[in-house]
Amino acid sequence: MSLMLNHISFKPSEEYHLNDISLRFDSGKMYTILGRTLSGKTTLLKTIAGLQTPDSGSINFEDTDFLSIPVWKRNVAMVYQQFINYPHLNVRDNVAFPLKQRKMDENLIEKEVQEAMEKVGLIGFESRKIQELSGGQQQRVALARSLAKKAKILLLDEPLVNLDYKLREGLREEFKKLFNVSDESNSILIYASTDPLEAMQLNGDIIVIDEGKILQTGTAKDVFENPATAKVAEITNDPAMNINKCLIQDNSLIMNDSVQIQIPDELKSVPNGKYLVGIRATDIYLDDQGFAFDVEISEISGSETFLHLRNKNLKCVATIEEVKTYNTNEVVKINFDKSKIYLFEESGDLRHSPYQQ
Amino acid sequence: MNFKHKYVFLLPGLIVLIGILIFPIIFTVRLSLSGWNSFNPGLDFIGLKNYIRLFTDDPRFWQSFFRLSFLAITTVFLQYIIGFALAHMVWKDIKFKRFFRVLFLIPMMTTPVIMTVIWRTFFHESLGPLNDFLSIFGVQPPWLSSPGLAKVSIIVVEVWQWTSFMFLLMLAGLLSLPKEPFLAAAVDGASPFKKFIYVTFPLMAPISIGAIIIRLIEASKIMDTVFVLTSGGPGTSTETSSFFIFIKGLREFQMGYAATASFTYLIIMIISLTIIVKVLTKVLMRE
Repeated sequence: MSLMLNHISFKPSEEYHLNDISLRFDSGKMYTILGRTLSGKTTLLKTIAGLQTPDSGSINFEDTDFLSIPVWKRNVAMVYQQFINYPHLNVRDNVAFPLKQRKMDENLIEKEVQEAMEKVGLIGFESRKIQELSGGQQQRVALARSLAKKAKILLLDEPLVNLDYKLREGLREEFKKLFNVSDESNSILIYASTDPLEAMQLNGDIIVIDEGKILQTGTAKDVFENPATAKVAEITNDPAMNINKCLIQDNSLIMNDSVQIQIPDELKSVPNGKYLVGIRATDIYLDDQGFAFDVEISEISGSETFLHLRNKNLKCVATIEEVKTYNTNEVVKINFDKSKIYLFEESGDLRHSPYQQ
Repeated sequence: MNFKHKYVFLLPGLIVLIGILIFPIIFTVRLSLSGWNSFNPGLDFIGLKNYIRLFTDDPRFWQSFFRLSFLAITTVFLQYIIGFALAHMVWKDIKFKRFFRVLFLIPMMTTPVIMTVIWRTFFHESLGPLNDFLSIFGVQPPWLSSPGLAKVSIIVVEVWQWTSFMFLLMLAGLLSLPKEPFLAAAVDGASPFKKFIYVTFPLMAPISIGAIIIRLIEASKIMDTVFVLTSGGPGTSTETSSFFIFIKGLREFQMGYAATASFTYLIIMIISLTIIVKVLTKVLMRE
C-alpha cells in the first residue's frame, strides 16, 4: 500500500505553491517534510487531505484516484499548527467526533476514545471544556482525535511549533513513541517541520521542499551529509549553513581578498573557477592564528553562542561551544575546519562533500 | 476614594431612568387600581376590581394574548429558519455575494407602516395584484376578510419585513465563527450536511438564542402591521394584546382597565421570556 503523488502543481496566483511534485509514501513509514515557512509544506498536506485541489497532477492511494474522493470520505487525519478543536464540545466529545461521524457503536467509541486519551496523557480531563485547557493540552486533544480515528494517513503540520520549549521537547519524545505504535497499524505518517533538528530527531525519511519544489529526498543522514544543493544545505541546518561565493585558484580557496585558505587534498582535483563554498556554523572555531572578523550580533542559545560575523563583504555565522558575551564590532579570530568544507557549483548543485567517497 | 457626594453624579442618569421608566411603571400600577374612564376621569381607587374583571370576565384579552403568542412564535420561527438559510447561502464564496447580502437587507430598510399599506393593496380581494394573478387558476382567496387567511397575511408581512433583521444577525454570527473547526470537521469525516448539524449549528447557538429573543420581544409588540393590514379584523380574529390594549385605552378610554391589561401583559411576558431563554439555552446549547 502506498500513496503516490504524480506531478502535483498548484498555482493560485503568480507564484507556484506546489511545483510539479511527485512523491511516493509507503505505509508503515514516517516522512518529514522539511522546509522554511511558505515553502509549500502546509499546501502539500492540505492537498493530500483534500482541503485543497491541485491545478494538475494526480494522487493515488491503494489504487484509487484520491482526488475524486471528497475530503470527508478520505481516511485521513490531520493535526494543525494552530490547536484546532471544537470549542462547543468537551474533551471527550472532541476526541470522539471523527468516530461519531462514522456511526460507530457507542461502546466501541468509548473504548477507542479512552485508548487515544491514554496515549496522549489526557485521562482525567474528559469532561473539561477546551477553553479550560492549556495550549499543550489543546494540542494533545487534537492529537488524540487524529489517533482515535486510526486513519491510514496521518498528517502533522508543524504540531509543536506553537508550544513553549519545555512542552515541545516533551511532546516530541511522546510523538516518537506514538509513531512507533502507529507503525503497527500500517499507516503513513507525514510530519511537516521547519526545524532541521526536529526532522533529524524524528528519524524518518526527509523530504526537503522550497518554493513548492522538492529539492531532495532521503534519510536524515543522507540529507545531512550530502545536501543536493546549496539551498538544501541552508534549509537542513540550524543555523543555516554558511554559503559564500568563492574562487579556486592554484590550490587556494579565495573567499575575499583577506580570507583565503589552502584547500585540502581531496579538493585538489577541482579545476580552477568560481564556486560556492559551504561551511557549517559548527565547523568554524576560534583560532588566534585565524582570520579577523567583526562581530555583528552575538546570541546565546542554550550552552552555545551564535556569532554573526563579517569580514568586508563576507558574512558567516559561527557556533561557539561556550556561553560568552561579545560586544558588537569586537574583533574575533576564527578559522574553518578544512576537512568539513562543502563545495557547490555556481548553479547550486553539490560538487564536493566531505562525506563523499 | 471616600467622596461624600459621589451619588450626586448618578443623578442625571437616575432622573432620566425615573422619568421614562420607573415613574411610568409605578403610575401604570396605580392606574390599574383605578376606574379611570371617559365618564370618571381621575385616579380614584377601586381595589382589584379591574384585575378580577380581566381574569374572570374577559375572554377577549386572553384570546388576543394566545393569538399573539401564536403569531409571534410562528413568525419568529419562520424568520429564523429563512434568515439562517439565507445567511448560510451568502456566507460562503458565491457569485454576486455582496449583491445578495444587500438585497436581503432591503425589507429592513423600508418603513414598516408604508410597506404594510403596500401589502394591503397587494392582498386586496378584488383589486390586488395577487388575486389578479391567482384568478388565472380560478381562485380568489379572501386574504384579509377570512379569519384564517387574515392571520396568514399578517404572518407573511411580518416574515417578509423582519427576516432581514434575522438574516443580518445570523450572517454577522456566521462571519464571526472561527474557521478552524470547519477544517477539522472536514478532515474528521463530516459531510457538508453533518458539518452544519454538528459544527455550524452548535457554534451558532449563543447567537441564535440572542437573535430569537430579540425578535420575540419585538414580535410580541406587533401592532402596526395589524393596525394597517386588518385593524384586528375580521371581528377580533387578528387582534393582538397590544392592539387590544390600544383599543381599550385610546379608543374606549378605559384608562384604568387598559393599564390593568398592560401590567398583566408585562408580567406574563417577563415570566414567559425568562422560561423561553432557559428552554432555548437547554435545547440549543445542551447545557
